[in-house]
Amino acid sequence: MSVWNYVVTAHKPTNVTHSCVGNFTSPQELNLVIAKCTRIEIHLLTPHGLQPMLDVPIYGRIATLELFRPHGEPQDFLFIATERYKFCVLQWDAETSELITRAMGDVSDRIGRPTDNGQIGLIDPDCRLIGLHLYDGLFKVIPFDNKGQLKEAFNIRLEELLVLDIKFLYGCLKPTIVVLYQDNKDARHAKTYEIALKDKDFVEGPLSHTNLDNGAGILIPVPMPLGGVIIIGEETIVYCSVTAFKAIPIRPSITRAYGRVDADGSRYLLGDNAGFLHLLVITHERERVTGLKIEHLGETSVASTISYLDNAVVYIGSSYGDSQLIKLNLQPDAKGSYVEVLEKYVNLGPIVDFCVVDLERQGQGQVVTCSGAYKDGSLRIVRNGIGINEQASVELQGIKGLWSLRSSTNDPYDTFLVVSFINETRVLAMNMDDELEESEIEGFCAEAQTLFCQNAIHDQLVQVTANSVRLVSSTTRELLHEWNAPSGYSVNVATANASQVLLATGGGHLVYLEIGNGKLAEVKHVQLDYEISCLDINPSVENPNYSTLAAVGMWTDISVRIFSLPSLELLAKENLGGEIITRSVLLCTFEGVSYLLCTLGDGHLLNFLLNLSTGELSNRKKVSLGTQPIMLRTFSSKDTTHVFAASDRPTVIYSSNKKLLYSNVNLKEVSHMCPFNSAAFPDSLAIAKEGELSIGTIDDIQKLHIRTIPLGEHARRICHQEQSRTFAICSLKNCQTSNEETEMHFVRLLDYQTFEFISTYPLDTYEYGCSIISCSFSDDNNAYYCVGTAYVLPEENEPSKGRILVFVVEDGKLQLIAEKETKGAVYSLNAFNGKLLAAINQKIQLYKWMLREDGSRELQAECGHYGHILAFYVQTRGDFIVVGDLMKSISLLLYKHEEGAIEELARDYNANWMSAVEILDDDVFLGAENNYNLFTVRKNSDAATDEERGRLEVVGEYHLGEFVNRIRHGSLVMRLPDSEAGHIPTVIFGTINGVIGVVASLPHDQYVFLEKLQANLVKVIKGVGGLSHEQWRSFNNEKKTVDARNFLDGDLIESFLDLSRSRMDEIASSMGVPLEELCKKVEELTRLH
Amino acid sequence: MGSLLDDWPSYDPHNFSQLRPADSSAQPSKLTPVTYRPTHNKTLPPPDQVISTEARNILLRHFYQKSEEKFRPKRAASDHLTPEHSCKQPRCDYADGAD
Repeated sequence: MSVWNYVVTAHKPTNVTHSCVGNFTSPQELNLVIAKCTRIEIHLLTPHGLQPMLDVPIYGRIATLELFRPHGEPQDFLFIATERYKFCVLQWDAETSELITRAMGDVSDRIGRPTDNGQIGLIDPDCRLIGLHLYDGLFKVIPFDNKGQLKEAFNIRLEELLVLDIKFLYGCLKPTIVVLYQDNKDARHAKTYEIALKDKDFVEGPLSHTNLDNGAGILIPVPMPLGGVIIIGEETIVYCSVTAFKAIPIRPSITRAYGRVDADGSRYLLGDNAGFLHLLVITHERERVTGLKIEHLGETSVASTISYLDNAVVYIGSSYGDSQLIKLNLQPDAKGSYVEVLEKYVNLGPIVDFCVVDLERQGQGQVVTCSGAYKDGSLRIVRNGIGINEQASVELQGIKGLWSLRSSTNDPYDTFLVVSFINETRVLAMNMDDELEESEIEGFCAEAQTLFCQNAIHDQLVQVTANSVRLVSSTTRELLHEWNAPSGYSVNVATANASQVLLATGGGHLVYLEIGNGKLAEVKHVQLDYEISCLDINPSVENPNYSTLAAVGMWTDISVRIFSLPSLELLAKENLGGEIITRSVLLCTFEGVSYLLCTLGDGHLLNFLLNLSTGELSNRKKVSLGTQPIMLRTFSSKDTTHVFAASDRPTVIYSSNKKLLYSNVNLKEVSHMCPFNSAAFPDSLAIAKEGELSIGTIDDIQKLHIRTIPLGEHARRICHQEQSRTFAICSLKNCQTSNEETEMHFVRLLDYQTFEFISTYPLDTYEYGCSIISCSFSDDNNAYYCVGTAYVLPEENEPSKGRILVFVVEDGKLQLIAEKETKGAVYSLNAFNGKLLAAINQKIQLYKWMLREDGSRELQAECGHYGHILAFYVQTRGDFIVVGDLMKSISLLLYKHEEGAIEELARDYNANWMSAVEILDDDVFLGAENNYNLFTVRKNSDAATDEERGRLEVVGEYHLGEFVNRIRHGSLVMRLPDSEAGHIPTVIFGTINGVIGVVASLPHDQYVFLEKLQANLVKVIKGVGGLSHEQWRSFNNEKKTVDARNFLDGDLIESFLDLSRSRMDEIASSMGVPLEELCKKVEELTRLH
Repeated sequence: MGSLLDDWPSYDPHNFSQLRPADSSAQPSKLTPVTYRPTHNKTLPPPDQVISTEARNILLRHFYQKSEEKFRPKRAASDHLTPEHSCKQPRCDYADGAD
């Protein structure tokens, strides 16, 4: 029974909603503070850029974020107000690096209609009061006393009901607000009010301006000495003050954000909804404003907030694309842009849809999201992987190979890094200052490409080039012995270990040498039928210096062969099939199991179980890691062997529970890699990539990695089809013609690896793609993409017409096979009993897939069910259908085969406005609604009365604080069958803020245990700003607020592992559980995401 | 144009001086800050800084203010030049009875 749920964040919110700059962490330091809905981040401005200091979870959705300087304080305070009417004032304590709460409170009113246009919070520039506009017709004032302490808040009646913006004016004797509002004829005006603190009332202010631009939306108060206010419209910008009025026309655009540049308020940055950045300049002579000027600077992500930082560097916070750090250049670039992007900060929001796919069939899901909006729309492939933290890098073009060498056999650290190029070999070495510098190993041939090199026994080094094998003393670095390739032959590939060398020359000659003290001995030579493409003699764990097996990859017959050493007798041969040659072979052992790994030129990897005594290969498995040839190399991290697969999609191969796992590495393209363990860079890897050699350490923890596929258009629905190895999306593109903005909608087919568009089906004018699935029908084995659409006509409130389109993928093209007109928008499609179940406006409709006489196919209506307002979200399980309605919560329907009818079994009678539903198990359904809550309902099939059976019982309620757009079954991590977490069913959700979260259904005893842990943690981990965890997680909508039940806050529970040892001990003892056991239980949970 | 883009404000000239622009193919910034988990007692404000809104309803406050004005000692004669105005003042007992 999936009633006891655990909610945890796998990817934190990335949608930047607010930002501000000030001296927060010290009077001298300049900070950027940004809000990502439920978190704030504090950054420090440094010569090297933005340095992240702290990520602060807030128990609330942030509505206002402002830095301000109370009288007499040396540094700024942070004011935060949340959407659920709490506020706090935070101060940074530099001594303890803690956030201290200076004030907090509740500013809710018992009666009041929440504002439609969002909450507004503002602080008087002279710090006399805080103003809040939370309810229509009311303006709330929190006054400061003369010591900077806050006093009791009071309301003032605000005549204007539809308020668009409010700001404080600068330089007024009494605190004065300017209000931008819309009247009941939709005209927009601005007026000012002085706040009479003693009378607790407004007095008409000095300015008012009627009949502004119809799109006027933003007020910018101008500091003294100029004073006044700028009003930003869609077609004009006006400046008005008591003495001046100036206006300029602008190219029609919707300004979304502004940032002040100069302290005197003469320049502002404006960002519009197309991502264009403009500079607005107030020209003035002394203190008299003479006009306004606007200049186009360039393009950024669509900004939701703009903060000028320092020295022409600006932070662009975005809700629709990646946030950016940009520099404003004095001269335009080739494209005429003054904007240079310095850094990007990933934002997955808004996640409109996503799918969970297991492309490698490894049991590890990756999530592909439809992220971003407008021009910043993208697909993001989110996957658990391994991170490389770069420590040092140097530009080096054309690297052909990389090896690390120790200066003696017993040296714990590597000294040399041998870098091979097409015509030379260079040696880098660590010097006394722990820096890498160019060095020399005299006995090595520096004028040729190194094919292989290796530390050998007796303090020797071995280098293989096309002409010879050189044995060099690692102490004197002089050449001891050389084996020369027979004349007319050159060495093509070579490998070695501490005492053996195996090489291949043209003509299929395989030569085996053994390394003695100062001597190389040719032991065996055989000629094979074809050329040799790759070799390996990596020794087994038992005898690390000597291998009894050799792996050989062949051209022509595309085979891999196992030979015995030293006799070079063929033990096994495996034909790989296909026409792609083997590029790299590797003998390796993970967790006591021996494998042969073998990679192909097209990015595939094959693995075999290897019998070390017979050389026999078995259990062949093939996975695709990338599209380019893969080079394999072993390395160890934390005493465990891993394999690094260098390619266009570098991967680390490791083993867990005797199963090979593949984890992406967060690097773009790696051509070569070798372990490099030096004193300065312990346990590091040297990596050759894109003209660069870098040294980095590898993460020991797994974390999410995100690959971005920019689309330049907004993807709204996504679906994966395994059979055709494609994805399909419904997307829309905004097209700007000379004076009109139009939308074009598409169904697009994408390659499952490159994510390139391979086929496009344009939808009709006004036709939107609403749903997409991949399915098959009864009596038809083809896999189809079914797309549901709606004709969204400007004059209609709800679409009255739509289509269901059935496509098949043929030769990489979308072929329309059938189409069916519908009487409304097709909000959802599901494969259902070999048929197609569609949600069309208020109706659930089932279609059969019928064969016509001419052999073509068509969709034919079978039965339906009315009774919804708008059936937005539909999930099915067997014959059960769960519907999430626009405003009537969740209902459960049943398809009756015999009668060919759909009937309602039960419904939840609450008026929840749904945003997503998913079926957790036969009886329990999970819903998300538009007040950011999650809830579960249960089918009451055993109830005594019909009335009770017809009611879905609400069994769990929780305030997530996130707007969920989609819930799907799946897991982001490899599920290990013998771990406790492996048996816990999970669903994944995606939200507007870019959160990817997991809901895990726990066994009851585990739930009870963790609930107790959560109760203990709440006492120890305090809410920042004094905000209460219990209140934050309480289910809340317009009608009710009730405590959370049957949901646990996994983010809080897992923060147990971040606590100090003493705090952990404290909790363990109050729980009566040994600390080790408690830690293990919490760690298990972290493996759910 | 040059003059508009000149002379960007500078708080500390060193800020961003060492930051080199990443090329377009560069990986997005990977630095992630530490998550703050306060366990100290200063997350609660001083007792007098727990703020709430005054309990009196805005309409009641309006009535009280007006009635106070009414009982204020009458001063200038000019106040009486518009007697019809004062008729519209709510009566004190009425305001008291309202809820």
